[in-house]
Amino acid sequence: MVFAWKAAGLTYNRYLAVASRVVRRSLKDDKRLIAERRGEMDLRFAKWENGKMGEPKNLADANAASMAKAAESGGSS
Amino acid sequence: MNSFRVARAALRARPSALRLPIQPLQRRTYAEAVPDKARVLNQAQLVPPSSGTNLRRLRSTELGAVPRASGLSSIYTSQNVVQVNIPAESGEMGVLANHVPSIEQLKPGLIEVIEETGTSKQFFLSGGFATVQPNSSMSINAVEGYPLEDFSADAVRSQITEAQKVANGGGSEQDIAEAKIELEVLESLQAVLK
Repeated sequence: MVFAWKAAGLTYNRYLAVASRVVRRSLKDDKRLIAERRGEMDLRFAKWENGKMGEPKNLADANAASMAKAAESGGSS
Repeated sequence: MNSFRVARAALRARPSALRLPIQPLQRRTYAEAVPDKARVLNQAQLVPPSSGTNLRRLRSTELGAVPRASGLSSIYTSQNVVQVNIPAESGEMGVLANHVPSIEQLKPGLIEVIEETGTSKQFFLSGGFATVQPNSSMSINAVEGYPLEDFSADAVRSQITEAQKVANGGGSEQDIAEAKIELEVLESLQAVLK
């Protein structure tokens, strides 16, 4: 069985994150505010080459970009 | 050397009632190795149905929501339940005691726990895994999980319209795929909220 999200180039991790995000947003206001804080993530990374640190990037942005790329190549093939 | 022999003799001379029971092999299980909070999740223990009754039961079932590595919380723990209905990717299933041990991937959907008293508890989970252990215990892990009364039907409705717009719009493939996931979750949420 091939899942639609997989065919579109998303990872299971991303699928779960999207599903969880929408569940959190569907909660009643009081619970939603507490729950939505759990969805926040801010990680940065940098690639080191030849002993020098490359440009620091936001992990979430980089992930989104690589998944968008995968989605395009997955959709066209 | 001499005192050692004496000690051994003393040990042998001890009445058997006083002798320490044979210690089992030291084996560290997963439940002991993980920190307290995670252990709660693993305490889902066991037991075969009592021989006297026909009622099969699971002695303990647990639903755990795992929002963050540090914020693991348990949303339901029970000693005895009769049945648990789960929305597995392979189809809806009802789990009774002595179920074949299995690991099921869950769709975002409704988990129903039927307790011994006949009352049932319902939770909506965002997708995760259910593990049925060989000893009639079960644990369910999900990223998010809440009882049905915590959801707002209005929020669901407004998100459906929004997600439909994105899904039918001209966004990137990824945006469309994500909107479709959202729609799937929201629609099953709306169906159970009615």
